[in-house]
Amino acid sequence: MPKLYVDDDQYSAQPQLLVVEAVHASVRDLVRKRYSESGLAWNEFVFAKQDELITKEDFESIEQQFIDLGYKCDWSAAVSVQEKPELYKPMEGMGDDLSQFTFKDPDAPIGEATAEGKQQRGIGDNVVQYPNNIIGTARYVRSAQIVLDYMENGVPPNTIALIDDSGGTLTAPILDQFAAVICAGGTVRSHLGILTREYGVPCLMNSKLDGIYDGDTVEIEVTVPAKMANTADTTEEPAATIWRIND
Amino acid sequence: MTQINYANLLEANYLMQKVGEEFHWLCISRTVQASKLFPVSPYIIFSYINSFYRLPPILRKIETVMSAEEIADRSRNMGIKIQNPHMGSCMPAFYLLGREYLLSLGMIRPQDAVEDLLYVMDFWKRYQLSWHRNNGHMTNEEFGHRSQFLPDRKVEVFSSDMYECEPGDELQNAAHEFMAVASQYGFLVSCESRISLTNSGPYRIDENHEMIVRDFMDLAECSLPWLDDIATDVPYNNLTIAISVKDCHFNLMDDWGSFESEPEFTADKLAGIALYTSDPLSEGYIPVGMNSREELIATFKELSEVIKDATNKLWLRMAGWSRDQMLDAGALVYFAVIKDLAHVAGVYDVEDWFVIDPRAEKFRPLLNDEYGNAVLGELVGLLSLPTQQRSPHTMSKHTDTPNTMMTPVPYSILAGDEYVASVGPLQKGESHLDAKIDRYRTTRGVLTLAEYNQLAREYVPEVCTDKYRFLCETWLKFNADTELANELYKLDQHHSRKLKGRGIVKEADK
Repeated sequence: MPKLYVDDDQYSAQPQLLVVEAVHASVRDLVRKRYSESGLAWNEFVFAKQDELITKEDFESIEQQFIDLGYKCDWSAAVSVQEKPELYKPMEGMGDDLSQFTFKDPDAPIGEATAEGKQQRGIGDNVVQYPNNIIGTARYVRSAQIVLDYMENGVPPNTIALIDDSGGTLTAPILDQFAAVICAGGTVRSHLGILTREYGVPCLMNSKLDGIYDGDTVEIEVTVPAKMANTADTTEEPAATIWRIND
Repeated sequence: MTQINYANLLEANYLMQKVGEEFHWLCISRTVQASKLFPVSPYIIFSYINSFYRLPPILRKIETVMSAEEIADRSRNMGIKIQNPHMGSCMPAFYLLGREYLLSLGMIRPQDAVEDLLYVMDFWKRYQLSWHRNNGHMTNEEFGHRSQFLPDRKVEVFSSDMYECEPGDELQNAAHEFMAVASQYGFLVSCESRISLTNSGPYRIDENHEMIVRDFMDLAECSLPWLDDIATDVPYNNLTIAISVKDCHFNLMDDWGSFESEPEFTADKLAGIALYTSDPLSEGYIPVGMNSREELIATFKELSEVIKDATNKLWLRMAGWSRDQMLDAGALVYFAVIKDLAHVAGVYDVEDWFVIDPRAEKFRPLLNDEYGNAVLGELVGLLSLPTQQRSPHTMSKHTDTPNTMMTPVPYSILAGDEYVASVGPLQKGESHLDAKIDRYRTTRGVLTLAEYNQLAREYVPEVCTDKYRFLCETWLKFNADTELANELYKLDQHHSRKLKGRGIVKEADK
């Protein structure tokens, strides 16, 4: 089997992530095979023939190998798992089981509960500093179905939305109706951070939390200074506290 | 055919490194964007591959009509979608990251498509130097993350025409709500990317005030097919808002058009505001609702309502899309981030810009969510793909790690090592999206594409005619008392509510 140009690499290292290593190894094997079968010089193969000899069906076979091995991919967009459940891990906390769902970040700091039933359940990066903390009802907004329901019936008053991802599209029609947002991903410069700042909706990004369920009363500490992001260092500990308040 | 010699290889490798280092910083200061709605990382990788195969022939096609530097001269006078995020960052980075991705798969070598690469980097350099000619840099990063591309006469009009506002007054509230609504719509229009909105500046107004310019683009029925029958009532495709901010210093305006300030910019610091529209067919910026303060307030309120309605309709359309449609829309909105180059040149073709190239299409089955997230993270964040590794003694610019984002072209091709010149001509592509309806909202009304292209080819904005094009800020500095300088200022003051017909005033006489 011929070597590829990039096979002889003085400084090569494997990709860090297993899924990338597996896919790239499969594709490189495919390229070697087709190149060898073509009998062409690389110059003739690379653009003129590679397009004919390496096909979409070849890449579908690589995907099928994953499915046949029983590997289940993580999913990020709901449509991905809805259309191809055999390829992805099942959805959890998206439908009827939402009431039992909680973000579970192993790095979430958990405090001692006070006599009044107030307990730290997480931290986050504050987007904009406000004069007062926000207290409201935690509601997970994790699917288009929930957004559609809120579009039709309105967002319940005083909702603090718990959102998985830093994007701004899922909640586009209803974002301005939240009392506050807690986002489990992103940074203060992510799209959701930008939009909440524009709307004047208090927001914590990059939040690490555990044990907050749909319907819990929560308080978020937006009185701390906003996290500045004008350096590449995103490793500093977030400063804003998230409390659960037992009624 | 692009000439290959030592000088232009050195330059291309330098430019690649420059793009890679800044793109790396922009990525690691944010994290990968994720969405429960869109498969973002998979579509980003898809767009990179599409860019690698399609951009070189499309850019060459554009330059058969108009050079990169002339397009930049024209776009400097408009708030359209070929500003610093689009041309300064996305275009070169997307093309180069497509190359880097294919390199990592062993599908190409660093010297394959080398003439394409040299051409794309040269196009980028010429455009950027022209776009930034008033500040003498290539990118915002070079200028210490600052973006001052406008000439004095435009900044003067913006700052003079603004209506003052104060915390809590009706204008400030209406303007602030509009900016939030338009930002939200912009992210949705561009499928979770930020390329439909950008900021530039800051410009000093006085001791206590700075001005930034905010552009909201592709708002109406335009090149994006998913806005057909959704944005029909949006009356302007591009809106530019100039804002004056009190006691707030913008200390960062990055190459993606995001800003940071000290103290944090909040609505209560808004001190003045002006609203304009523009496109490739307009003579610069045309005021919108600027005849009176009351009209401006009413305009912001009306626009907010129209855009909220369009947001809801668009969200419902997108929420019903298949994954293939989402993948195509996201990939194409990124790939076509510089489509306005073709609109300015009058050679826009839907078949060039809004299709997936067959050479990219075959990757679709690989682009599941987990692999997409993982490989994008390695490619632009960790820089951990095998081809991105360098000598262990190397310390990269931002992370001190032995890697770089982009792989240089080997100079050995000058000593006889073989290479391949190009990916070849443009191929016919396809898309899962609904076909584009032949309707484009412009400042000359709603046009068909043929009408739009023809008008663009015939039209030369007056400031871009031979008489004025090279009358730069340096010339004006030393020739302010000439009639020609006076004429030039009057051109940009033509729509000004306060400066119309005034011409140039010597700084000492202000």
